Order: sequence, then C-alpha cells, then structure tokens
Amino acid sequence: MTISLLPETPGAWPEFGVADLFAVERAEREAVQLEAIRLRFARLRDKLPALRKLAEKQGVAQIDSLQDLIKICFDHRVMKNYPLAILENRDFPKLTAWLDKLTLHDLSRVDLGGLKSIDSWIERLQDFGLIIGTSSGTTGKLSFMPRSKSELSAWRSSWLVLQEAATGVDPLANPLPSFSTGYRSGHQMAMKPSQLFAQEMYGGRHNLYTLYNGHMSADLMALSGKMQAAEDKGELDRLDIDPELIEQRRQMIEQGRRRPQDMQIWFEKLLTDFRGQRVRIGGMSADLYRVAQAGLDKGLKADFAPGSLVATGGGMKSYKNAPDNWQEIIKTFFGADRLHTFYGFSESIGSQPECACGFYHFFPFTVPMMMGKDGELLPRQGVQKGRLAAFDLLAESFWGGFVTGDEVTMHFDDDCPCGWKGPRIEKTIRRYSEMEGGDDKITCAGSVKAYDEFMDYVMGAA
Amino acid sequence: MGSEMGRLYEIPILSRGRVIPPTDDDCVEFSGRAGARFRCPDPHKHIHDLVLGDAGRLQDLHDLPIAKVMDFLAALGPRLKLADNPYLQESYDLALEAGGLTKPLMTRLYDSLPAMFDRARLEARIEATIGSRYLDSWVPQGTEGPASTVRIRAVGSRQLHITAGNVPIVAPQTVISGALTKSDILIKTPSNDPLTATAVVRTMIDMDPDHPVTRHFAVAYWKGGDSVMDAEVIRPSRIDKITAWGGMASMQHVQKHLKPGIDLVSANPKFSLSLVGHEALESDEAMQEAAMGVAIAAGRFNQTACASTRVVYVESGTDEESLAKLIRFGELVYEGFQSLPPHFSTPADEPNPSLEAEMRAIEMEDDFYWVKGDTVKGGVIVSRFEGRVDFAGELNNRVVNIVPLEDLTSMLGTIDDQAQTIGVYPTALRLRLRDQLAIRGAQRMLPLSSQLIDAVEGGAVPAAPHDGNETLRRMVRWMIDQGPAA
Repeated sequence: MTISLLPETPGAWPEFGVADLFAVERAEREAVQLEAIRLRFARLRDKLPALRKLAEKQGVAQIDSLQDLIKICFDHRVMKNYPLAILENRDFPKLTAWLDKLTLHDLSRVDLGGLKSIDSWIERLQDFGLIIGTSSGTTGKLSFMPRSKSELSAWRSSWLVLQEAATGVDPLANPLPSFSTGYRSGHQMAMKPSQLFAQEMYGGRHNLYTLYNGHMSADLMALSGKMQAAEDKGELDRLDIDPELIEQRRQMIEQGRRRPQDMQIWFEKLLTDFRGQRVRIGGMSADLYRVAQAGLDKGLKADFAPGSLVATGGGMKSYKNAPDNWQEIIKTFFGADRLHTFYGFSESIGSQPECACGFYHFFPFTVPMMMGKDGELLPRQGVQKGRLAAFDLLAESFWGGFVTGDEVTMHFDDDCPCGWKGPRIEKTIRRYSEMEGGDDKITCAGSVKAYDEFMDYVMGAA
Repeated sequence: MGSEMGRLYEIPILSRGRVIPPTDDDCVEFSGRAGARFRCPDPHKHIHDLVLGDAGRLQDLHDLPIAKVMDFLAALGPRLKLADNPYLQESYDLALEAGGLTKPLMTRLYDSLPAMFDRARLEARIEATIGSRYLDSWVPQGTEGPASTVRIRAVGSRQLHITAGNVPIVAPQTVISGALTKSDILIKTPSNDPLTATAVVRTMIDMDPDHPVTRHFAVAYWKGGDSVMDAEVIRPSRIDKITAWGGMASMQHVQKHLKPGIDLVSANPKFSLSLVGHEALESDEAMQEAAMGVAIAAGRFNQTACASTRVVYVESGTDEESLAKLIRFGELVYEGFQSLPPHFSTPADEPNPSLEAEMRAIEMEDDFYWVKGDTVKGGVIVSRFEGRVDFAGELNNRVVNIVPLEDLTSMLGTIDDQAQTIGVYPTALRLRLRDQLAIRGAQRMLPLSSQLIDAVEGGAVPAAPHDGNETLRRMVRWMIDQGPAA
C-alpha cells in the first residue's frame, strides 16, 4: 500500500506499520525527509543556542541539501562537553544552564532548590517536561540527552514498530513474560523503554523479570572515577557525598563480584518457572552467552515454548575472548532459530531493526549519512564505508543531527533481498575509539586510566 | 581508514649474530600503522634462538672488559649514519609513513644516532651509574678485615626489553644500555616501530657477527599478549630482568607470567605538565618568556613524548580581568608554537580526528573554555574555571590546556608517579615546590624559558635516572664475595 508521509509531522510516521514504512520509494522518501529537515532547522535554529552557534560558525543559514546538514550535525561529544567538575561538584545551576542550550524547554524556569543528587536533578527535569537519558561512552563521562514529553508518543510508536520489525511479533498483541540481565530502573537511555513502555511491551511491569531489582544510580556512574580515586587515597569519607551513596557503591561492587553466580541462579529459576511458556529473553549478549555456555556444560537446555524470542543488544563489547560461535551457543541453549537484534545510539530516538538477511535497516524517520575522513558527505549510492551520521526526525525539542563514533558499511541502494527498502548497514560496526592502535602499539606517553572497579562491575565487564 | 594495502616489509629475526629471514615455509604476517604490512619468521619456531637458557654462556661477555664493549659501541656509532645505512633508511621511511613525527623531526632524530654512541658519553654514563670497575672486577668494600673482606661485582643478566615505538630513539637507547650492562639482551619490538632495533643490531652483525656483544643480542617481533610466546620466554630459567614499556594492556600481559626470580622495571606511560607562577602575568617580558618556555616544553617531539607538557597550571584568578590576561598568555603560547624552528617542532602532517572533535565540541561551550588553533598548527585551550579539560590525556599535536588556579599547590593532589617532567616558571617557584612534587612521585623538573631549546637539546646528564629509576643499576645483578683478604 502507498502511504503518505507529511514533512510537517514526522513524529506521526512511526504510526504506520513495518511493511508500509519499508515500502516507501526512494525518491519520495528522500524528498519528504529533506523537506522535513529543512522545516525542522528553520524552526529550531534561533531557539537552540548550541545549534545557532554551530550554524553561524559553519555559515549555514538554511538547509538545501544534506551537504548543508552534515556541516551542522553535533559530534556526539557535544552532549557531554560540560566540565566534569561541575557534575562532580553537583553544581546544578551550571549543569542546568549547560543543558539549556540544547533543548527548547526554558530550563531557567526549573526550580533547582533542594537538589542533592544527579538522579534527583534528572527527576526534577522530568517533572518539568523532559525525559533525560544518560549514556556513558568509552571514557565513562556521562552524556545527557534532553528528550521531551512532547516526543513521547513518537518514541513509543517508533519503539513498538522497531520491536515488531526486529522480532516479527507485535508486542501489543503478544505481551510476553520478559527477562533482562540488567537493573530494574535507572536513567541510562538503554533502560528507558523498559520503564516508559512496560505496559505496551510486557503487559505491565510485573511481567518483566530483571536480574537485580535495584536502581542504577546516575550518581554512582558519574562519580565512580572520583570515588575510586578518593578511595585509593583513603579519603572516601572526606568527599562531600551522601554516605548512603558510598554504601550503595560498596553494595554494588559486592554484588558485581557475585554477578556470575547470581545470574546462574536467577536464570535456572526462570528456566523452571517458565518451562513450556512463550517468553522474551533479553539482555547483553555476553551475559546470555555465559548463561548458555554454563548451561550446556551441565548438559542443560532451555525448554521454553516455540515462538519464544531471544532479543539481544550490545554485541560482545564487554567480552573480549568470545568464541566465534557464541551466537550458535546462545541459539542452541535457548532453542531459538535466530537472535533478534537492533542497532541504535542514544542520541537518536529511532533504532534500526535487523532484517532476515542480517542488515540493520533505517526507517524513514531516521536519515543516515556517511561521512568521509575529512568530514565530507560521502555519495548516497552503492556501498560506502565511513563514519555514520544521522538525522533523527522524531526529535522536536532538540537538534536531531548527530555524528556518531561508529564506523559502518552502508548500502544505499534499495536492493536488500529481504524486500525492505531504505538504506541499511552491515552488522560489523566498529567504534573509532577502539580502532586507534590496538593493544600492540606501545608508547611512553599518555595517561593510564585509573582502574575503576565499580564501572567494570556494573557494566558486567569484570 | 588505511584499507589500501601498504608495502610489505620483510623483517628477519636477529639471533646472536645470525640473520634469520622469513621464508614461505616459516613466516607470519602482521600489520602496523598506515596500512604497512610485515612478514617475519614465526617466532614460535625460534624460541631457542631468542632466549639464553644457559646463563653460563654469559661467560664470554663477563670476561670482556667494559672498555672493549665501549670500543665496540663507539665503532658502531659512525655506521649508524642515515645517509649510508640501508637498514636505517628502511626504518626511517616506515617511521615517516606511520606519521607519528614529521619529516624534519624524524630526520633530526635519526641524525642524532651516531652521537649517542660517542665513547666519551658512554664512559661518563657508565662511571656515573654502575662504575666500570664493578663491571670488570670484584671491588672490595670498606676496610679489609684480617679474616674476611666483602667484595662486590656487578654481573650481567639475561634481559627482555619490551620497547615503545612512539619515538625511534628508544631502540638505540635499549641497545646501548643493554650492552653496557654486559648482559644478554632480547628485544621484543613494538608494532609501531618494528624496524629501528632491527636496523641497529643488523649493523652490529655486519660489523662483527662473532663479537661477544653481537653474540648476546636477539631481536624479534611477536604480538603483545601472545601467551604462548610470553609463557615460553618469561621464565626464571630464561630471563632475569624485564624492562616493559607501555600501558595497562602491555603490563598485564607481562604480569601474568611474572614469577619470583624475575625482576620487572616498568616504564609505564607518563604525563607531563607545567606550572607557571603569577609573575608570568605581571609584565610583557615575563609573559613572553614563560609562554615561549611552555611552547618549547610542549612542542618538543611535537608533543608525542612522555616528557611533553600537556596541561599548564597558571597562578591566576578566574575573574574576567584575570582570564583576559590568561587568554593573552594563551595567544603567546600559540604564537610560540608557530615560531619554533622546524628541526625542533613542526605543524602536524595530519589532523588528529578524535582530539579535533573534542576541541570543536568544547569550543561551543564558551562559558567554560576559550579555544584557539587546531590539531595541525597547534592549539591552546584556556579553561575559564579551575579545572583541566576532561580529555587531558588525549592532548597531542601541540595542543595545550591552560588552567587557572588561585593557589598552585591545589594541583599537588593530582601529582603521582605518572608525572614525568614538570616545567616551572619562575625559578623561585621551582625551588618552592620541588620537594612537595618529589614526594608525590614527580620525576623531573625543568625551567621554562626561551633558552629551553638549548637546555633540552644539550642532552641529558649522563647519570640522569630515567623515570625515577636507576635503570642501569637495576638491570645488573649485584653479587657479594666474602672471604679472606687476598
């Protein structure tokens, strides 16, 4: 069926179904995308100080082509270009003033009285009308993504259409008991959907089973480096930090040490409790691999009902010596015929489902661009390898143009055998930050990153 | 992206005077920077060519007077002229391709090789550290007793050197210090410089393959973290001492195999900085002088070395008037970079994408930072508050971060054993902070001035410890012989 996408209201595009969204012809798609971007820029340019500044510097007054757009995409580092010290000192007026340049909401009107923690700051902003998601990259410094409640409905529908595309199952019609190897709550962007859309995804929070019922504290993540340094000097008690937070950190480190055993016990109980039922198994690939391998070693196999889903993310990032056949091991143990994955980045609301042929496809509401070595826009044809940039058309309250830290291989022509149209990327995605040098290049200069056992534990790398 | 195929370099294993080239039946390939590819013999098949399982075979070196060792090194020096030495030319070409340093700097470094082997320099170094008589004889200690006398001798060891590749002089330095300790030396080359050590030792083999010094050098590449190699080589029966350069990854590989009986000298990555007193902001002349000093301290080796200043703490307030002065100081540092002589420091051949992105990202935040320049010409970031940029560890390509501090001593808490070289202006400040810096782990202080080029070019003091370590003295074993007076 032919659908009609209006450039004025891209937030409504995810309301269409998977098949329709991936059937839009290229010429039509690209024309409506460019028009939507043009309108968005004209509306936001003078209202977002950070965007205005970049546009002025780059001499971009209007957008006539993606060549103009790529010059004014924010590097992903812009979402964390505040000095770490203001976060460590919990200087909320400065932090708020910093964030104010990145959102349409007038944050000068937020009452900052009585705030003691980063979590409480995030919650205060959420009461005001934003939805803040954090992300910690390879450096551990937190990014803050200021989404708005005005984007919530587009976010929800894009999330549901993503799930349906990635798994073939409409979660609204089939609310499955779901497992996740993470924490129950937290402000990390990757954890937001399971909290915001629990009703739509699982039929309610009660149907989501997490390894830990605790909260992943943004304060602990933000302050972990500082706390580790203070602890090394025996000065942890001298930091101006809520003692409760110090205790929480101690408990989480303790918990991290037990994590492999906890996960084993937790999973074995789920295997029994849900035997014969249709379930959705989620979590980090590395965790699922460990559980699967440990199970197979004991001669066990999961015995869930046919049609159960294994939906993973995170690749094998935190598990360096994974065997080549880790996916096979997960599939064998859980009795799944495939793993359902998607690719996303916290700067963008929409994410990309994996198709039957093993590519991640972009929905029309996310416009991918490929960037060459010198920041130039690579031709939008054939196969291109380079840095991924994208424009998020669902972003109405913040600037949706971002340059990621990922190297991807993009296929621009609508020729995927799966039948879905739209640009798509291969599954091999590399982070530029991890490609520089490797472990074999030895130099005398640099700074050893302080060993931060807390982050290792909570990120599951230990 | 370096996906285009680079040139294929053939790298032999060098083993005690023998050159073992890779062959089609005995080879492994690996890749380095800038897409270069290398082919070397499979090190797994040559363990016994690399290690000295029988320490008794050190006898020949032990019996050789240190003067003969120095004669040998001094004769090697003149053969290390870039213009005449094809091995060095190959290593030089590769180093240029890899792009760590620009051509004028690289040329200068290679041109400095022969002088490193100057006999007078070697002699001064050995006398100021181990002492030649300790290497050649049993030296009586204290007064001779009627029944017993204590004699001490410095004895050669079997050493593994896991070297760094960011500055090519690490390789000849390793050769010199290895030979001066009358030891058996195995050099594991890094992927970012697999050729320089090979070039120096090959020249040695061409000169005299049967000389005892040559007979105790082996050079090979294997991949860092190759646990088979590490387990085979790092055994108390085969290695006594290890010098390991590099960061956490490199150190962790080694530590896995450390056992009692193996001594580790770690040359871990260092970070250097400068401290500038309020005097520098009080007159134009002082400002000029200190700024030039900072440009030199940061610009040397184009800021690729551990001794290169990256963060500059300046005694200054953070009010608008003080910040205006600080920015003026930053402008002068930037101008200083542009005025450095090309043999000493140059613009980069290519931008540093990651650092460039960090600079462009904080440039948008003018509440917190003032940014000038880029990763080609060099640059200056002035913090408008009392804190350094969060990517200070990435500062490179002649980009410094200038940080105001009301009280300079408030930065002492950040000093630890990673602080390699600390540039200071003025002299009085150096004297005031010297001991406070020392006890926290700092290793070297340097006066910031426009004369600094001459000072750093003049060469190090022969006995200067490296990274707070008396490396030479640690790489030999010290044996006691107690017995009746002769």
